[in-house]
Amino acid sequence: MASPHYPDGTVRALLQTDLVTEATRAALLPRLDTSEYTPQFFDEATYELLRAVAARIYPQPERPEPIELAPVVDKRLAQGDSDGWRYDAMPPDREAYRLGLGGINQAAQVLFQRPFGHLSEPQQDQVVAAVANGTAPGENWQHLPIDRFFEELLAELAEAYYSHPLAQEEIGYVGMADVPGWHRIEPNQLEAREPEEVKP
Amino acid sequence: MPDEEVLEEGVLNPAKPEIQDPLLKSILAENGGLLAQAPVEQEQPAPLPDPVDEVDCVVIGTGAGGAPLLARLAMAGLKVVALEAGPRRDPTRDYATDEKAQHFLFWNDERLSAGQNPVAFGNNNSGTGVGGSTLHYTAYTPRAHRDDLRLFTDFGKGVDWPFGVEELEPYYEELEHFLGVSGPTPYPWDPPRRTGYPLAPLPLNGAALLMQKACAGLGIQTSPAANAALSARYYQEGVGWREACTNRGFCQAGCNRGAKASMDVTFLPLAEAHGAEIRADAFVTEIERDAKGRVTAVVYTQYGEQKRQRCRHLFLCAGAVETPRLLLLNELALTSGQVGKNFMAHPGMQVWGTFEEDIRPYKGIPGGLISEDTHRPTDADFVGGYLLQSIGVMPVTFASQMARKRKLWGQPLRDYMRSYNHTAGINILGDCLPHENNFLELADEKDVRGLPKPRVHFTAQENEQRMNAHAEKLMRQIWEAAGARDIWAYERYAHTIGTARMGLSGDDAVVNPEGRAFDVPNLYICDNSVFPSALSVNPALTIMALSLRTADKFLAAQQRLDR
Repeated sequence: MASPHYPDGTVRALLQTDLVTEATRAALLPRLDTSEYTPQFFDEATYELLRAVAARIYPQPERPEPIELAPVVDKRLAQGDSDGWRYDAMPPDREAYRLGLGGINQAAQVLFQRPFGHLSEPQQDQVVAAVANGTAPGENWQHLPIDRFFEELLAELAEAYYSHPLAQEEIGYVGMADVPGWHRIEPNQLEAREPEEVKP
Repeated sequence: MPDEEVLEEGVLNPAKPEIQDPLLKSILAENGGLLAQAPVEQEQPAPLPDPVDEVDCVVIGTGAGGAPLLARLAMAGLKVVALEAGPRRDPTRDYATDEKAQHFLFWNDERLSAGQNPVAFGNNNSGTGVGGSTLHYTAYTPRAHRDDLRLFTDFGKGVDWPFGVEELEPYYEELEHFLGVSGPTPYPWDPPRRTGYPLAPLPLNGAALLMQKACAGLGIQTSPAANAALSARYYQEGVGWREACTNRGFCQAGCNRGAKASMDVTFLPLAEAHGAEIRADAFVTEIERDAKGRVTAVVYTQYGEQKRQRCRHLFLCAGAVETPRLLLLNELALTSGQVGKNFMAHPGMQVWGTFEEDIRPYKGIPGGLISEDTHRPTDADFVGGYLLQSIGVMPVTFASQMARKRKLWGQPLRDYMRSYNHTAGINILGDCLPHENNFLELADEKDVRGLPKPRVHFTAQENEQRMNAHAEKLMRQIWEAAGARDIWAYERYAHTIGTARMGLSGDDAVVNPEGRAFDVPNLYICDNSVFPSALSVNPALTIMALSLRTADKFLAAQQRLDR
């Protein structure tokens, strides 16, 4: 079974209807805003590095305007927000990102003699793969557990990506349209507002 | 991290920093972020009682441990004040059906997780706000079994509780009827109960039906689970009509309908109707004592101001992390040496699979189906047992834990997540033995208030590892029988339990069987921290039962003194 695909526009259309509560709409609509973001926490170069890394972890070649994940991380770090816990083996989040992103650049330098942002996509993928495998070279990894950093990075970006209405559209999630309640909840039972998979 | 910058970062890494930057301030205000500490209109702080005012009881925490006893004490005519660290919200207005937007329900102050199996906190197990962790509990309400409370007697390992389950049973009955629990009658794994559940079970969703069919083929008995969400409209004493569940599936966060029996729609309105006062956004920092060691007052911060409330008795109900943290910070009730010790977390391994069927895991209560055939498995190589639950999941939670476990990235990650609607899970809730290597301590690193962060050490010991292995094998069998492919297991540990255990003697326990601290005569602890062992069932119903029992024992003792 190939991965299902869903029609475009389902979530965006639902957000305009009274199937979605006002509170839910107020949470989701601002995430569709694509206006330019100025980093608050990272300096420009580090921010661009994070964007480049996020673009390899969440490649979106089909989107004219990819869902931006770096602002979510930058805003959180600027506010000093936490999700309630941290691996004791890890430094505080701001320091972990500083060391981890720096480590990714170091690995790019060692492997390809250029910073990450100047590499081709296949080369960037090799660097990310080396971090994912825990084999990336770089001095910073002496100070940061590489496996935990990659796990934290992946999880935070995953949460940022799948919180976005367009990503929810991509996977056929319409749980936000809950005002009438769900009556058809058994396997293969759909409500009229649930998008059907696009048959290839 | 030995360099200075890191150390400084550690000290300065505030959960809620003082924001100076006007731009950032406006962004935060727009997002309803940090600056939302100011009271919204329905929660203007009540006029402060005169600082010399003394109330009968202060209750710290308004979750499953604090709310039931708050109502009980208020109904007995006592003057009671509850201090809740988090805000008061209006579910119908403030609870979006969105995982990120409900972030405020969780205790997001950073905790440090150490050991071989560092426990995730926050949305995994810790709530904040009027209602505490019940605002985001999944409302599973199985009762503890008779033998859960006597592991040492039965196995020679773990510890026995200082009383039997018959002490809790009347409270289980009362709670099931007060909260309006939906569930099967008779309950298949405990048929001789005196009373059945007041409401019929909630409907089964995709994951539950797939699990039900596969288990039937494998000879595993299943049943719709008991859940404190209403399968029909229900009238509740002191509260009024509550509306039925609409299968919104958002139980791991906040119910915007009041169908889930969280404390904010059950015991807390009852308590307030009887004169209890609940102060939100009140973060307790100090517990004051007199020369004899009796608690005299608590000091808390509310809207940036420090306040004091004098009290005759203190009930500490802040959960198994903040309760021991407050005791350690205040050097209170420490003579047994048990505060912070024996931290436990339930093995909560999940097994996920991809199905041909279109499942849409966001519909229906997440855990519709249960089996307790694994309560004492005949082929077990471990102490205790576990239960099985079907599970649904929301996409952000699913993506996050999938990323942590499978480390997928790039196109394979997006491809896998496209199958979200074809995903179904099963998980366990297993007993956990207390162990000396699992404990909570105060770290050097400080939080935004300048208080030491808690550091929790947790390593799954041999018993938990064997239980996990047994459960993973069985859950994989079930999902294979159900026709799943791409099956994967996620090892996780749920709930916070232990750290201020209850026992018969102050030599090895912090509180006595009535919840009173051995070495502080007017301090009571009532939450999951007093559990001597973890139990093989979800803890909320038992925490509430303990809460009512603690209140009744306290009231009885007061009457004896009055005579």
